[in-house]
Amino acid sequence: MSRILKNRLFSGISWISLGICCLILVFLIAVIAWNGIKAINFDFLMSESRHFGASGGIYYQIVGSLLMVLVAALISLPLALGTAVYKSEYLKNSKLQMLSDSLIYGLNGIPSIVFGLFGLIFFVNILNTGISWFVGSVILAFMILPTIVLASYQSINSIPDHYRESALALGMDKWRVITTVLLPQGISGAVTGLLIGLARAVGETAPIMFIATAYSGARYPDSLLEPVAALPTHILALAQQATDPDALQAAWGASFVLICLVTLFSISALFIRKRTQILSER
Amino acid sequence: MPALITDKVGKNYVLFSTLISAGVIFMILLMLLIYSWEAITQNGWQLFTTVWNPPAGQFGIASMLYGTVAVTVIAVALAVPIGLMSAIMISEILPGRYRVMVKSLLELLAGIPSIIYGLIGVAFFSLWIGNIFELDTGRTILTGGILLAIMILPIIITLSEDAIHNVPDIYREAAFGLGLYRHEVIFSTLLPIARADIAGAVLLGLGRAMGETMAVMLVIGSIDRIPSPVFNTLVPGQTITSKLGREITESAFGSVHFSSMIFMGLMLLIIVLGITLIAQRFIKLRSRLYE
Repeated sequence: MSRILKNRLFSGISWISLGICCLILVFLIAVIAWNGIKAINFDFLMSESRHFGASGGIYYQIVGSLLMVLVAALISLPLALGTAVYKSEYLKNSKLQMLSDSLIYGLNGIPSIVFGLFGLIFFVNILNTGISWFVGSVILAFMILPTIVLASYQSINSIPDHYRESALALGMDKWRVITTVLLPQGISGAVTGLLIGLARAVGETAPIMFIATAYSGARYPDSLLEPVAALPTHILALAQQATDPDALQAAWGASFVLICLVTLFSISALFIRKRTQILSER
Repeated sequence: MPALITDKVGKNYVLFSTLISAGVIFMILLMLLIYSWEAITQNGWQLFTTVWNPPAGQFGIASMLYGTVAVTVIAVALAVPIGLMSAIMISEILPGRYRVMVKSLLELLAGIPSIIYGLIGVAFFSLWIGNIFELDTGRTILTGGILLAIMILPIIITLSEDAIHNVPDIYREAAFGLGLYRHEVIFSTLLPIARADIAGAVLLGLGRAMGETMAVMLVIGSIDRIPSPVFNTLVPGQTITSKLGREITESAFGSVHFSSMIFMGLMLLIIVLGITLIAQRFIKLRSRLYE
């Protein structure tokens, strides 16, 4: 085959590949938006589900999902900030640095259902907490920990050393430097990481489906030790009765709302990152 | 509080959080190991046979291992060629101003929760597969593989596009200067340089595909068997993840049944963790993880 022909063939295959990707993208977005918008209205968003979700709305599922990621954020942010500060400011041994990197990447790579198994063994059965909101939040917090740690570590570690040196020269001790100089500048990175983590956590089903959620009937939980309803597990329950058109319709509506939540978190992350970039360039 | 004390407390706090963050992964491994111990001692090598029948005390996980490998192979075989060619297209052929746009769209795709892929799989893909191949049910191993391919496409494209894009321009200029055609520049110069990072991208996609639960669970049909002939993927199957998702709540805590399920989880964890850590050696993920 001549070289020109090969080059043409190559271009053709590249275009086709990208075309396939675009088709998939358009298909997914169109399907979710088209079916989702048809399914949602004010009543759907504000009423509780009936007949195992086939009729009624998804109000308590939205509330439950938000409650769960809110507590997950409260648990993981302090933990992640502490870890990031230690990695950046205290840990100087390069072997330990590499080890901690591997552990964090490893944690990030654990399949989500394994987190669910861990929660089921350790919390639900050994600590006997029962299926509850709190366990779901802890497990989601562990899942998004690596994302927040790395984001905060990068933003703290990239603060130029002369800030540290000037602060130390003023007679501050190390903790003072961290809380008054480094954290105020590094916090935006942590929040960006947190929001990206939450975008992932809110859509996760596998880790919470047997440790945190009740499929139907859950309303506002009275305490952290009660199960909540959640959007992803609700979609799962509906998808399993997909032959019923009403259930399928409700599933599309719930999916659309879930995608909106995910996008909301991601876009806020993008917005915060953009704003801080501008601040640091000043 | 005197400054000296807050300094101490602060240091202990950050040390303590680091120990927790680093300890979680050991804790998970330990828990799975302890609770799969009963299955290992009770069943021994029986665990790797094909019969899974809890009432009869038979816990062979071979069908699940087969399913996991089969869907992963299908997913990677479909996603790598398409993903790599798209990455080349975005990095080398498409005008630069479209690059950011296409990549943000891909990140949007990567952000769709897996349960929604599962719903789309149930509502469309399984019906299509059933109609095209005239099957009784479209919930097959192939359906799971195709769905997984779509799910890992964004990872493979973004990471390998980064790898190709990061090759310094001087190589392109030198290669074009020798009179090579574009495909020759790409295949003989750029891809060999970016090889390690592309391998990392593929491995990472592979790890994701193996550990994925919801989408696969909904479309694979959930029947524990190895098809005959082995490569006939147009029949229902079962993966480790779908088995766990479907059956863990039916097994009593502490029973051999439960323990065998946890053993499957442990196998999955070890394989995926291994792949992830190898991928990390190939690739500088540092900034990618949270972008």
